Amino acid sequence: MALLPADALPRALAAAPATGQPGRFLTAHEMTTLRALVDRLIPGPPEDPDIGGVEALVPEAIDALLGAFTFEPPLIHAGGPFSNREGARRDDFAHFVPLDAHAELGWRIRLEGSRGIAAREFAGPVTGLQEVYRTGLAALDQAAGGSFAAEPAVAQDAILTGADANFVSQAFSDAREAMYGAPEYRRDAGLAGWTYTGWGDRQPRGHTDAEVTTAQGSSARRLNAEDLARARELLPLLARAGIWRR
Amino acid sequence: MSGGREVVIVGSGAGGSAAAWALTHAGFHVTIIEKGRHLLSGLGTKAGPRTLFGNDEVKGRRAFENPDELLEPRTARSQDEAAQGIERSFVGDVNGLPTVVGGGTIHWDAKTPRFWRQDFKTLSTHGPVPGANLADWPLTYDDLAPFYDEVEQRLGCQGDIHQIPSEVLAQAPRTKQLPLPPGPMMYAAALLAEGARKQGLHPYPVSMAVHSRPFRGGRACNNCGFCSGFGCPINARGGAAISFLHDALRHGARLKHRCFVFRVRLDRSGRKATGVDYLDPHGRVRHQRADVVILAPSAIETARLLLMSRTAHHPHGVGNRSDQLGRNLMFHNFTLAFAHFAGDVHAWVGPNTTITIDDFCFPEKGAPARAAGLPYLKGGICETGGTLLLFDESDLYAAAPNSWGVAHKQLMRSSPLRAHIGGLSMVGEDLPQAANRVDLDPKIRDVYGHPVPRITYSLHRHEIAASNHFGPKLAAMCAAAPGALDGAYVPVGQISQTGGPGSDEAALAAGPASTAHIMGTARMGSDPRTSVCDAHGRVHEVENLFLGDGSVFASAGGFNPSLTIMALSLRMARHVAHTH
Repeated sequence: MALLPADALPRALAAAPATGQPGRFLTAHEMTTLRALVDRLIPGPPEDPDIGGVEALVPEAIDALLGAFTFEPPLIHAGGPFSNREGARRDDFAHFVPLDAHAELGWRIRLEGSRGIAAREFAGPVTGLQEVYRTGLAALDQAAGGSFAAEPAVAQDAILTGADANFVSQAFSDAREAMYGAPEYRRDAGLAGWTYTGWGDRQPRGHTDAEVTTAQGSSARRLNAEDLARARELLPLLARAGIWRR
Repeated sequence: MSGGREVVIVGSGAGGSAAAWALTHAGFHVTIIEKGRHLLSGLGTKAGPRTLFGNDEVKGRRAFENPDELLEPRTARSQDEAAQGIERSFVGDVNGLPTVVGGGTIHWDAKTPRFWRQDFKTLSTHGPVPGANLADWPLTYDDLAPFYDEVEQRLGCQGDIHQIPSEVLAQAPRTKQLPLPPGPMMYAAALLAEGARKQGLHPYPVSMAVHSRPFRGGRACNNCGFCSGFGCPINARGGAAISFLHDALRHGARLKHRCFVFRVRLDRSGRKATGVDYLDPHGRVRHQRADVVILAPSAIETARLLLMSRTAHHPHGVGNRSDQLGRNLMFHNFTLAFAHFAGDVHAWVGPNTTITIDDFCFPEKGAPARAAGLPYLKGGICETGGTLLLFDESDLYAAAPNSWGVAHKQLMRSSPLRAHIGGLSMVGEDLPQAANRVDLDPKIRDVYGHPVPRITYSLHRHEIAASNHFGPKLAAMCAAAPGALDGAYVPVGQISQTGGPGSDEAALAAGPASTAHIMGTARMGSDPRTSVCDAHGRVHEVENLFLGDGSVFASAGGFNPSLTIMALSLRMARHVAHTH
């Protein structure tokens, strides 16, 4: 696939692959399987009231990461400091930051794998994310007896429960990154996971002192007993690396 | 006295930049060599630094400013594993700090507490602890105080001397008001502080290098909330690059980035450094000659570099005649405590942890300590009002197997661990142990072809006992906050370095929880037989080789270390200016 010049990026961001078309890395069939997978990981209406991962172009974002090097600059690190959502006139996030040679090597290893190339195997062989997805999606099809995407949701859930947990975990992590990260990584202006969480980037507007110091009463959601009980079970995980910001 | 002499500084983080600034102004020709990328274009120019950092959680997870663990892995093992001859049990990121121009302070939370008098004289003040390699520092709080003052003024620290409890001022006396007033008090921290006061504790606004007012021509913080772990999108936070390096570069210091120093070169006598060898961005070997060599790449990398620089005169690493090089590695182990609230307490709005509570920094010598077979139990400051961000929240809810689907989305909507939680973390002192150390991994190499640092680390039982002693007090404080539904704590060691919850035994065997506080490995002392460098950071065995980072710490205190790193480095640089 040809490299895109930098000034074509906004158009590329808008031009996500259509249903039935191959992606930047995945084949058309693999894209179909990935969409079916994402629809189980982050479902939307009617199963869930809020926007789902497929509608939010999460599969296309995962494919764009796998094919990051078909873009110039690669779709790895969004630019900064501001998006155009909170008062800035232009969207810096949409202008991705070029990698230098050092960073590019790391991302080539992460995405493409070490492939027996000596310069990539100083610490041993590495399986790239491209191969992880190719293998993982094929395994879902195999478990479905042909086409994972053609199975009903209940059967898909059963397949996922028995599937390679590392792959499902990787796909869920990448899907959440797209769903709850900045829209620019999704090549979509929609706010996706930010709509029902009230989240978003805040610069350059920031917050007023009053917003910092007082309860924001009208928008306050109440915590129910069931979620509180679940939260107590999960509490120790707040000690995981780098999670609790201080 | 400089006479245009050449200084090379390895690392552009907290210590390196402070030294570069002082020595440039003292007339030295300063070259800073930084391993990482330069992401602040305009730094050192009249136009001033721009930034590519934003309110972007994804970029931070993609090694934008942090080292890529595939290129620069570290390895780890426990003390028990080391005793069994296991070479390593983990390969990947072990407490990696940002590897960019500006170092760790590029995305620090900028808390700037001072160490206390007692921290510099731990051994003589409180006595020995079995299994710990305690030592006094070869300097006192009063030696460092003027440099604390100067660094705070330079960084633009906020705080209020009139709100600091008298017990704290007795341990860390100060004569000057902080240069900027406290910024807005985050709502969740205010609730927890109220709970603390009800428990008879003494919360007060923490000192931090977040600019609550426009400072030195820069903007004031606008409370975006993406602070800890994020580069500041508007450069309203002081740090190595903004507060020191920018000015040093404007006055003639030179910066070489993406250059990896792999060896300190010594003359034939082995007593004098002549410069450093490094790989340039194209992988070519280069040499930088210098009259004075200062190492400040962080405690783990300083030990690694000195070990890699061994010569016939220094067969076990430069400056390692004492066998202390790499040893006494200290982190901080955080005890967390939380309260849930029925309403939304929005802890992510504005700079976090705007309150500190220092009541647990004093050693407690009562029955709980005796029951643990220890002379005392000691905690650290409580950074009150921590924050969970959106992606991290989604990660927590995804931790259980098969937790995808509608259930996950429902948790994201109701947000029990983000919107409805207020919490704090106690910075637990980590006692030095000779067996907690950095050495060179015998097999694993980094992208440069050099041995990676191997971290051998286990918690001292004091850390476990202190966490379990202070934890319930922290939980009670949280429970006493107005509107709190509960109070709970998470002791240290419950989560291993690589993942899920484990037993106490597993916790003891596990490596450290991730922390950006890295100290020890080349401790300072007055006796060359038991320390690596002197009170000015000069390596005992080499007349012109100085250490300017957390490696020189003899104790970890219960305080964020960066301010102390900068103060020590500034003191070292002034000494170099007078003697070289």
